[in-house]
Amino acid sequence: MKIRVKLIGPLMYEAGFSEKEIDLPTAATVESLLELIPLSKQRPKIITRNGKAVAPREPLEEGDKVAISPIYSGG
Amino acid sequence: MYGWTGNILRVNLSAKTFKKETYSQEFAEKWVGGRGFAAKILYDEVKPGTDPFGPDNKFIVALGPIAGIPAPNTGKAVVAAKSPLTGFYGDGNLGTRVSEHLRKAGYDALIVEGKAARPTMLSIEDDKVEFVPAEAVWGKGTYAVNDWIYGRYGKGVGVLNIGQGGENLCRYAVVRSLEGRAGGRPGIGAVMGSKLLKAIVVKGTRTILQADPQAMKILGPGDLKKVGQIDKQTGWSIQSTTGVLSWCNEVAGLPVRNFRKTHHPDAWKIDGERLNNARVATYGCPNCTMRCGITIHDHEGRESELDYENIGLLGANLEIFDLPQVGSLNYLCDDYGLDTMSAGCVLSFYADAIDHGATSGDFAFGDAERAKTLLRAAALREGKLGHLLADGSLRMAREFGHGSEAYAMQVKGLECAAYNCKFIPGQALAFGVAAIGAHHREAWIITFELKHTTRESYGPEKAAKVIELQRIRGGMFEFMVACRFPWIELGWGLDNYPKYFNTVTGLNWSLDDMWRTADRIYSMIKLNYLREFPDVTRKADYPPAVWFDPSNADREGPIAGLVLEADKYDGLLQHYYDQRGYDRRGIPTKTTLKKLGLEEEAAAAEKYGKLEP
Repeated sequence: MKIRVKLIGPLMYEAGFSEKEIDLPTAATVESLLELIPLSKQRPKIITRNGKAVAPREPLEEGDKVAISPIYSGG
Repeated sequence: MYGWTGNILRVNLSAKTFKKETYSQEFAEKWVGGRGFAAKILYDEVKPGTDPFGPDNKFIVALGPIAGIPAPNTGKAVVAAKSPLTGFYGDGNLGTRVSEHLRKAGYDALIVEGKAARPTMLSIEDDKVEFVPAEAVWGKGTYAVNDWIYGRYGKGVGVLNIGQGGENLCRYAVVRSLEGRAGGRPGIGAVMGSKLLKAIVVKGTRTILQADPQAMKILGPGDLKKVGQIDKQTGWSIQSTTGVLSWCNEVAGLPVRNFRKTHHPDAWKIDGERLNNARVATYGCPNCTMRCGITIHDHEGRESELDYENIGLLGANLEIFDLPQVGSLNYLCDDYGLDTMSAGCVLSFYADAIDHGATSGDFAFGDAERAKTLLRAAALREGKLGHLLADGSLRMAREFGHGSEAYAMQVKGLECAAYNCKFIPGQALAFGVAAIGAHHREAWIITFELKHTTRESYGPEKAAKVIELQRIRGGMFEFMVACRFPWIELGWGLDNYPKYFNTVTGLNWSLDDMWRTADRIYSMIKLNYLREFPDVTRKADYPPAVWFDPSNADREGPIAGLVLEADKYDGLLQHYYDQRGYDRRGIPTKTTLKKLGLEEEAAAAEKYGKLEP
């Protein structure tokens, strides 16, 4: 299944892309998606699926958009 | 006394006099500086009912004990006065070399009272104070004023100035410094203008007396270097605050079309990635190693320095998705000396009011060229429309009627920062109970709401988080007068700040001492509000009514069909009051005030408004 991934702020420079489609096996989770993206595991992040907060083990579905962002503070 | 100079400079523009006044160690330890000094001085010296534009209002510059000393990130000053926008205490902070120079001249604060007979620049050089005629730059924008001052005094001096917006008493005119820094959203620049005070230039040459200067000389610069290294490792300042735009757009928290919408497919055109790609220069404040000011060429080819609030409120909120044009609007606000955030909300409200038939006029969302002429009209108070725009969205709504106050995006008169709380209850609370009106500076809890609780919750954990952040952001960083970014953006430890404070002052404070001081200052500002508005109700702490309106709900996206629920918001507000020790109006009880050592201030307040036991 195809998942749209968007990286926000400095994460796009760390991983080398800002937005792209990634092919994943059916029933892949947010956790398994993260394995495919070269981002530091130590860095705190907030991950949303279609604009809503998502748990690491939540299964993804075809066409989902996952946004990964550092934890901003609102300036 | 170490750290503090123990001196305040009082200047009277009417009489053209000045004097150095001393204050006690007890005063210093009770109020610390910055927002603490300003709130206390204005409470004691500006009577309720004072005309904000009259000579009896006072303009204050206040610094903290670590301000101006090389350490993360201390190059800031607080500016304050009774606000002409909100009618009670108002303040802001901005990066400026005044932080260092005023302290080296021997003062921790400056109080300006009275009104000059002619446009004036105040020049302070150690013990010398001069009233310099400023007709040459009256009517000029802030960039020209800066050049004029630098031409006379050199680039290294501390400068505060105003543009035409401040001169013409636009109620959201700011104080400016260093060509790109601004502070005092609730019209503090207009208070300067009302006094015909065009600028302040400060040069100090003395040493700031510290308890352990040798230790601080190693600690401060060493930590500044470490903060710079963390910034480089994390890449934060590549987009600085502007990365927030994409995130807000993803989670339906972006203000679009006067906050009617929460996201937009064209938002990417003005996001942090595009901004960084267009960068021509980077600016920052003194004593900063994580410089956040991204400068681009605007539509007219001028340099314009942008942050998230600028692209959010002058871009997305006006549906202007053209980065150079957003840069132009930002440049004009900076040159006229207008708060970009209120200006964006005022223009979006005007377009929305036309859309909804509350008024008629020639402006629509997306029209950047017309927006430029409207900014000019507001700054110069050109014609009836200029006067309306210069008075801010709440006064405009009261003039327009037809229920338009519901979508004037403000709290207590101060326009909202660029976070659309249509369905973000905790952040709506943060706007509702911010000390000076709808500002994000004091608490921003949106990521907490999504990551550590649920967006739907109106529970006490959100009130607790708002209070925690108010103590840190609106409290400690505002009375110490340092930038919160090293901590909030890079994770620089909070425990470093008592360390700096103790090294400079010789005291032995913990973070708990900081929080107690913060609570005292918040209560002080609440008492100021009560004296000005004795009939206050809890409705003063409500966000804009449109966020409760089901007909305003998103039709698609992550919060489709959802808006804030009034009864639940009221419950959340009560959690906040209960945890703060406030009564049902949101005013500290006598018990709370006593705990904070504010018995005298409480007695002064009771002459004007009732306090609950």
